[in-house]
Formats: sequence, C-alpha cells, structure tokens
Amino acid sequence: MSSSRNSRRLVPAYLATSGRARPSRNTLDRLSLLHNPAGPGPSGTGLGGPDGLRPEERRLLELLRPGSLSLAEAAAHLRLPVSVVKVLVADLVDTGLLHARPPVPAHRLPERELLEKVLDGLRTLKSS
Amino acid sequence: MTEIPVALTVLLAVGTVAAVGMAPYLARTRGQLRSLRTRAATAETDLGNVTRHRDDLAGRIPLAEAEIRHLAAVRLPDLATALTHPHMSVRGPADPRIAGSTLDEALSAVLETVGESIDKERMRVDAAAQATMRSTSTTIQALLYQLQTLLQEMQERHDDPLLAQDLLAADFLNEQALRRIQTTAVVCGSWPGLTRQDSHVADIVVGATSRLQGYERIQVTSQLRDPVGVVARAVEPVAVALTELMANALHYSHTDLPVAVTVQQGNRGATVIIDDAGVGMHEDEVRRARQLMSGQDQVLLTELGDPVRSGFAAVGQLVRQYGFSVHVETSPYGGVRAIVHIPGEPLLTLLDEERHPLSPMTPLPASGPTAPRTAPPGPTVPGTAGTAGTAGTEPAAPAAAAESPAPPAAAEPAAPAAAAPAAAAPAAAAAEEAALPRRRRRQPEPQAAASPQPPAPPLSPPETAPEAEADAERSAERWGDFQRGTESGRAAITGDSAQTAAPAEAAGPAEPTDGSGPSTAPEGNPPS
Repeated sequence: MSSSRNSRRLVPAYLATSGRARPSRNTLDRLSLLHNPAGPGPSGTGLGGPDGLRPEERRLLELLRPGSLSLAEAAAHLRLPVSVVKVLVADLVDTGLLHARPPVPAHRLPERELLEKVLDGLRTLKSS
Repeated sequence: MTEIPVALTVLLAVGTVAAVGMAPYLARTRGQLRSLRTRAATAETDLGNVTRHRDDLAGRIPLAEAEIRHLAAVRLPDLATALTHPHMSVRGPADPRIAGSTLDEALSAVLETVGESIDKERMRVDAAAQATMRSTSTTIQALLYQLQTLLQEMQERHDDPLLAQDLLAADFLNEQALRRIQTTAVVCGSWPGLTRQDSHVADIVVGATSRLQGYERIQVTSQLRDPVGVVARAVEPVAVALTELMANALHYSHTDLPVAVTVQQGNRGATVIIDDAGVGMHEDEVRRARQLMSGQDQVLLTELGDPVRSGFAAVGQLVRQYGFSVHVETSPYGGVRAIVHIPGEPLLTLLDEERHPLSPMTPLPASGPTAPRTAPPGPTVPGTAGTAGTAGTEPAAPAAAAESPAPPAAAEPAAPAAAAPAAAAPAAAAAEEAALPRRRRRQPEPQAAASPQPPAPPLSPPETAPEAEADAERSAERWGDFQRGTESGRAAITGDSAQTAAPAEAAGPAEPTDGSGPSTAPEGNPPS
C-alpha cells in the first residue's frame, strides 16, 4: 500500500496522535463513511494554525473535501494505520468538523441485476 | 803617596766593574721575584675559584635531585592532566634559577617524550574502544530496524485499540533506542547506518522530532516555497543532526516550554532554525559546542564526559562528512538557537509530490501551498457544463460516463482519447475493462473542489434535509449533462468528424494523450 516496501518510513504513525490509538468513540469501523460537512469550499486552504488543527487533521479534512470516503480508504491515502486514523476521525467528529456514518447496509444498494441492466442499456446507447 | 790614590782608583775601578757586572743579575733576580709573586697570586685565585666551584657543584647536586623529584612528583602528573584537560598547564621547575640551563632543557625533553607516548597510547586505546562500540552498535541498530519493520506491519494489521496503542508505544520506544545507538555509532566514526530515498526537508524535520521524548513540545513551521528535498545520501545524516539539536533544546528547557523549529528556503539552500527558551549556554559552552560541531577535531570518547554528551560530537562528525553546516548562538527566546544550513548544491533537490508525497503529519507551508501541488487545471468542459456553481470536476464525470461504453466498441480511437483527459485530470477513472465507474483517488483540490460523489446521493438523506436537496439538484444537473454529452457523442460518431468532435467535447485539459486506448486510464489514475 504505502512505500514502506522499498523505503523505511521517515515519519512514524504515532506522531499523528501522540501515541494514542484508543478513539474517543467506539462506533467507528473500517467501512465507516467519512464526510466533511464543510464540503467543497474555499475554507482551509492550508493556512497555518488559526483553526487549531494539526497538520494530519487538516490533511484528512482536505482529503474528504471532494467527497466521502470510507475510513479504510482515508487511511490508505494518508498512509497511516487504520487504528490511528480512527483516533483522528473520532477527535474531528467530537469537534464537529467531520461526520461519520455507519457503512451502508447491503439491502439499500441497488440490485446487481438493475445495475447490469443499466450497463447494458448504456452499451446499447453507445454502440447504436 | 801616589800609591794610595792609585790603589783607591783601582779599588774604585774594580768596584765599578763589579757593580756594573752585578747590575743585570740584580735586575734579573728582581724580575723573577716579581713573576713569582704574580704566579703565587694567580694560583691563589685559581684555588679560590676551584673551591667556589666545588662548593657550587656540591650545592647543585641536591638541587638537580630536587628538580628530578619535582618532575616525577608534580610535573609529570601535571602533564598527564593537561593532555586531557587543555586548560590545565604544566608547572615549571621547582627552583626558578635553573630556567634556561641544560638541566632545564634535559627535563623538558623528558616531559616532551613522555607526553608523546601518553598521547599515542590514548589514541590507541580510544580507537580500540570506538571500534568495539562501532561494531556493537551497528549490530544493535540493524536489529532495531528489523523490530521497527515488524512493529509497523503489526500496526497495519491490528485494529484492536488496546493492541494498537501498545504497538505505537513500542514503536516510539524503539525509535528512541535507535536514536541513541545511532548517535553512538556516528560518534565512533560509523556512518548513520541507513540510506533513505530523496525526502522532503519538512518530512525530515518532523521525522527527527518523532525520535525524541517530549516531541509534543516541538512546533514545526514550514516556510518552504517549493517541494524541497534532500538527496538520498544526506537524508539520514541531516535527520540525526536535527534530532540531536532538538534533543538538546528539549533537554535544556522546561517541560512546559515549546521548542520552535522553522524550516526556511533561501537562495542557496534550506535552513532549519531550532529555538528554545531554556537555560542557554555559557560562552565557554558555546565555544566548545562550535568547536565540536565544526567537525575539525578528532572525537575521543574520553573527552565526552560522564554521562556521555555525544550529541554535538555526532553532529560534528556528520557535518565533516556530509557538507552541511551547523551554527549555535544565543536565541532571542533566551535559550539556544541552532541553525542547520543545508546547501542547495549538492545536497538539495526538488521533489515530485506525486511520487514523493509529504507525510500527513508534516505541516504545509504557511502561504499558498496547494496551488502548485494540484498540477492540472480544473477540467472545465466547455460544451457540457460551466453553468452550475459547482462546475469543477463535475462535468468530467458525465463526460467519462458517456464514454464508458467505449471499450466494447474499442475500434474508435476518438472515444478513449476523450476519456483519457477526463481521467488524467484526476476525475473519474472510467472505461476500464468492466466499464464500471471506479472510485478515483481523491486529492485536496481547492480550484476544482466540487465532486460528483457517486455514492453520495443514497447516503445523504439520512443526514440533513438541506444537504439532500442540494444533492438532488446536483444529480439532476448531472443527468442533464449526461444526456447532453450522450447526444453530442452520438452526433459526433454518426457524423464524419468522429476524429475531431469527440476530443473537442472534452477539450478542457491540455493534457497530451497518446490515444492508445483504455490503457491510458490506469496511468492517469495513480495507484493509491
């Protein structure tokens, strides 16, 4: 996933949370969906510290500015262990800067058949 | 009567003759007498001299003996002390009268020879000790790196908060142990023991903080304009030097006080400034630190004190070997300011942030950092959108979706050519083998921040009502765009100008495309 295969990490993960790996809430899951309620907007163009956010927190919010991601995906993009990202997310949820939702239940997703039909239709449109 | 005067005359004559004859003899006798007297006087003086000389000698033998005893009892120990403590001086002869005499010279020669021998032996013993430490620490260092890899893999593998917490703690302890052993190895003349890839200066600074107890107190500020990196061979040395300087700052300031670290970019290199508000250093200490860190002196373990203070010595070794420089002075904060200057030539390089992303824990530069980071300009597609307020990447997704049925009809080069720019501008990477939309890699993108959020519409409703409305609007827009795109795509394909119309439709990004089919899409979509 990260470049740890061919190069040794320079900045260790514990730096992100000062060594904490126990999130302030235990409702978070690898598949929890993270959403930045500030949404796409001009706020937080990387200006240093008046908002009191640490660099990794700001990076997480920026990562989520284009849209939602699952916690595991966010962790992969940040190249941090999931356990550490959970703490970051829990902190940000506590301060209201981030929303986390439980993963979408399977039954609420469209049926596979329906999706396949749509795909077929698209292909027909294209090839006609 | 005449005989008498004759006889008298004769007598007188004889007397005169005799007197005349005696005169020279008399004179000679007198001369002899005089010379005898002189010789007697000389002899007397000589005798006096000899006597005095003898007395003098008799006095000097004990004096010389006393000097030799003084040499053994006082001056040689002085010499031994002076060799290890340069501020100590060797005392002079016990009797100042012998200064400059042959005795003095002879005794000085003894001192000199003994001094040289002691020095040579010290070097030999120190070199042996350093060699032992070097080989031991190198082995330990390698083991600790293995442990680090193991801990890191475990951190990735285990989510359990309790276990993860312990793993992070173990990782931190391991990092501190590594720092100690690495410094010792460097002081003993070893290399830092690790070659890294080219790394961002800011990452190196943040990485250096992570090796220290109390790193929470270190506040790193980046003022870099460009993604400046250090070339591979100097990364670890710079990291070790920064770690030691920060360790000093942390150690000599109160646990409530912050340590301010600033990374700056100059015309001729990068500079890291470490300020603490601690106890500061005396003039002597500053002088000694500067001398150690100039890298000119040979480091002796015996000179590092007990407890060993190896930080500055290690920095000095690295400065000498790798060509950056360190300066210490009194800080305006009251403590110590250490300035590490990394010359642009030959130690710095500019890094591609796609291939070498900054660590999330590294602070971004205080001004305008993201503009150069998100390279491609917003992919505004002129034909399809641009009316909506959120006209960022949004049009790109329908464009890609419209072309997604391309692979089945993969003969036309126009369709992939249109899809490739849309994918390259980090929009949806569509048109892979299954022609299903793939979740793209997300990047902070201030200019083109809007997002299609494919999974968002079904998710938003449970949250807040206004947001749901916004999403409904957005999806309506999107479908409108999609239809328009489909229509124009069809028109393009049915018409003769299939080669030109389709690229024109998605002509927004000026990204060169090779039109080599769907295989361009994965390239434009960097692996995460």
